[in-house]
Amino acid sequence: MGKRAKTSRKGKKAWRANISTEDIEDFFEKATKDALSGGNLSAAPSEDLFHVEKSHGLNIPVKRKIEKHRERVLRCDSVLKKNPFVQTVSSSKPKSKKSNKTIVIESKTPKQAQKDAGDDSVMVDLWADDSKGEHESKPRKIYKKTSTIPAVEVDPAGCSYNPTTESHEDMLAEAVAQEMQKVYKTELGPEPVPLTIEGDAINEDERYFLGVDNVSDGEDDAEVENEELEAGNKLARTTKRVTRVVLNKRSRQKELRKKETKEKYKEKISTEIDSLPNILEEIAREDEEKQNKLLRRTIAKQEVLKIRPPRLGKHKFEAPPVQVLLTEEMTGSLRKLKACCTLARDRFKSLEKRGILVPSKHIRRF
Amino acid sequence: MPKHYRPAGKKKEGNAARYMTRSQALKSLQVNLSLFRRLCIVKGVFPREPKKKVKGNHHTYYHVKDISFLQHEPLLEKFREIRTYQKKVLKAKAKKNEELARLLLTRQPTYKLDRLIRERYPTFIDALRDLDDCLTMVHLFAVLPASDRENLEVKRVHNCRRLSHEWQAYISRTHALRKVFVSVKGIYYQAELEGQKITWLTPHAIQQVFTNDVDFSVLLTFLEFYETLLAFINFKLYHSLNVKYPPILDSRLEALAADLYALSRYIDASSRGMTVEPKSDASSSSQSNDREESELRLAQLQHQLPSSEPGALMHIVADNNKEVEEDEETRVCKSLFKDLKFFLSREVPRESLLFVLPAFGGMVSWEGEGAPFKEDDESITHHIIDKPSAGHMYLSREYVQPQWIYDCVNARIILPTEKYMVGSIPPPHLSPFVDNEAEGYVPDYAETIKRLQAAARNDVLPLPGVGKEDLEDPQNLLYAGVMSRAEEAEAARNKKKMAELEKQYHEELKMELRGSAVDVAPVVEEVGEGEESVPDAANTQTAQDTSDMPTLLMSRKKRKLYEAMKKGQKKKSEAVEALEQRKKRLNAGQQ
Repeated sequence: MGKRAKTSRKGKKAWRANISTEDIEDFFEKATKDALSGGNLSAAPSEDLFHVEKSHGLNIPVKRKIEKHRERVLRCDSVLKKNPFVQTVSSSKPKSKKSNKTIVIESKTPKQAQKDAGDDSVMVDLWADDSKGEHESKPRKIYKKTSTIPAVEVDPAGCSYNPTTESHEDMLAEAVAQEMQKVYKTELGPEPVPLTIEGDAINEDERYFLGVDNVSDGEDDAEVENEELEAGNKLARTTKRVTRVVLNKRSRQKELRKKETKEKYKEKISTEIDSLPNILEEIAREDEEKQNKLLRRTIAKQEVLKIRPPRLGKHKFEAPPVQVLLTEEMTGSLRKLKACCTLARDRFKSLEKRGILVPSKHIRRF
Repeated sequence: MPKHYRPAGKKKEGNAARYMTRSQALKSLQVNLSLFRRLCIVKGVFPREPKKKVKGNHHTYYHVKDISFLQHEPLLEKFREIRTYQKKVLKAKAKKNEELARLLLTRQPTYKLDRLIRERYPTFIDALRDLDDCLTMVHLFAVLPASDRENLEVKRVHNCRRLSHEWQAYISRTHALRKVFVSVKGIYYQAELEGQKITWLTPHAIQQVFTNDVDFSVLLTFLEFYETLLAFINFKLYHSLNVKYPPILDSRLEALAADLYALSRYIDASSRGMTVEPKSDASSSSQSNDREESELRLAQLQHQLPSSEPGALMHIVADNNKEVEEDEETRVCKSLFKDLKFFLSREVPRESLLFVLPAFGGMVSWEGEGAPFKEDDESITHHIIDKPSAGHMYLSREYVQPQWIYDCVNARIILPTEKYMVGSIPPPHLSPFVDNEAEGYVPDYAETIKRLQAAARNDVLPLPGVGKEDLEDPQNLLYAGVMSRAEEAEAARNKKKMAELEKQYHEELKMELRGSAVDVAPVVEEVGEGEESVPDAANTQTAQDTSDMPTLLMSRKKRKLYEAMKKGQKKKSEAVEALEQRKKRLNAGQQ
């Protein structure tokens, strides 16, 4: 808006200055130029101006951006350009083409030879070249043996199909203990929430008014109390002016107190220094205790690892029930033996116990 | 103060950087849960428990390196390929194009686990160490019924059965079996191979049940891996025997489900027939011809083998060129049931006994076709029977219950058969996996067995038993710390006796000094006694010194340890005493 200078437009002369004659002058320039050069460009037929190239097409590879960049020369080297004998080096290096690797014809390994011998089953001795030595004894550094629990744990002697009375009693005691643990857990634990409770069904409207009475009473009381307090405070607000005497007394007392604390501090430090050997003893004792505690905890953890796996997921590992014959079922005869028919569960639990599988929800599929 | 600044590229530190949760792992591998599980099982990648669980206690954590190890597994690509292929099949089926679906199913891509086994077990010994679980799983699936719901095919069950039989035949042939224990769960076996003890569990001959709380797809993945492992191990073992694997069995015996017997015959045949084969190699040109010829020859040999020699390993051992190096135990096991012929009745656990008896050098037969010898064979020494009463009893043979065989195997001697007779309840079946000395409590029957074992050994050894006992006493006294209860009691008694004799000697000395008019004879006697008592006293003194010396020489730490050991032993012996008292009371009460 304020591009033009503040000129007055009074009079013809002023007006003359304001009228721009740019377009007229341009036209004249153009006309003279065209006349001098050879004619108006827009008037010329398109054939004179453009020429369609048919012959080359795709043969000329379009210069890639990277190649264009490579042609560029550093500014500091541009001085050298003037000398035609100096050749410029591109700033970025092109990828050196990979040298063709010589193809080595491998002689057939004995394993393959075995295979070619028409072995129908395609079975090869995997460990045939084992005798070369234990060069790759450890396949992976980060490999970790899952646990020290053996893969197949033999049942104790009481689980024999014809056990001695003592060992049988021991095993029965263990089985009973397992069951009793479950019973105690349910008994001593909190009561489970019942699904249904006796009572009348409540109307929907009444449901909203269930908790109304108690809350409203409380609110009223609180409000009344607040009002009273405020009124009381206003009356007791006025305080006396603090005099010089009082102020001096205060500062003197402050000094005294400061001194006292300093003295106390000094005394404390001196007593501490005196009792230094005691302190050292105490520290040593505490250290020992902590060490013992740490030792006990690590040993306990290791011991526990021999019984059950570490907690790997959401659910705890539940040990399978002990497979022992009840006293009634003990016949001593192999034919009449009531054998265990759920051996798959034993394998599954063993896998969980070793930490290979993570125990999951109580009920698996189906 | 500047905020805690982490450089741009570094993601996390410590446990958070090293462990990732299962969902994170799934996202990084771009795989779904079932595939991830299969991959983990087959590659041997397990979840770990980090010290600090970054995302909470309810997640499963895997090590980052384990997951990146999984990422470079070509099997991942193979699994994905199979999945896309299955999608094609589903699509064809959905478009009601049954023919295409069938065609596609025939050309499904498959994968092999050989490379993984080589990766996980670079040496044979490593594979043997992991064989426990493998064998138990394969033996279990060999008796499971095929089920559509759990995706268990009949073919797989048969394959497992074949593998388990091959393994049993090998163990039987090389007498590697050491312990057997029959429990409620099943029968535990322990064999020793190349210094490794391999324990596995075989189910009883009862119909197994599919329970709800077991994820069978997981077990099937394990089974797949273990089947391949066992096949390779069998191959290597059979090769060490110079027997061709996989074995070609007599089809008639296979049809009669007498696999184990057929396998043992095959092994015998091939170990004999190896001398014949080199000739055939030179002659024939094409390889298929060669195979057919060797098969024919093998079949011929098997038929040529006299039928009464299924486990007749004595003969084989006689003309065996390549001597398998046997250690003492194998020799003992081989000759346990030598020259004994067993016949199994119908109700007896046949498969188990067919495995155990030849493994200890016995000859077995059973009722049915294709058996080596019949029931009425004269030379049968033992007839295994489990009925309350036997029908027609031959006089030349003994009728025993199957537990007798298991107990003999565990004790390594032939036990007397009176207690195992037909109709009576046999003595308790003890577990050979329990070390009775360590527990401190030895059951009665174990003691009888020990006595029998000692008797058997004494019969064999001439008479250095007497000399041995002399050496034992002073040795025991010199050992630092471990004296058994009986010896302690004896030592106490001796001490008392010596003290009494000493006192007596002193008194007599005094009497001598007082009264010179004492008889010569009693003096001589007394002196003699005194002399005896002196050396005795000296003996006890030296004995006590020698027993105390180690305690004096030990450092305080060791002495305390020794005392703690003694306390523990005392406790144990008290417990044992309490048990014995209880037993005495029971017996007294019963009577």
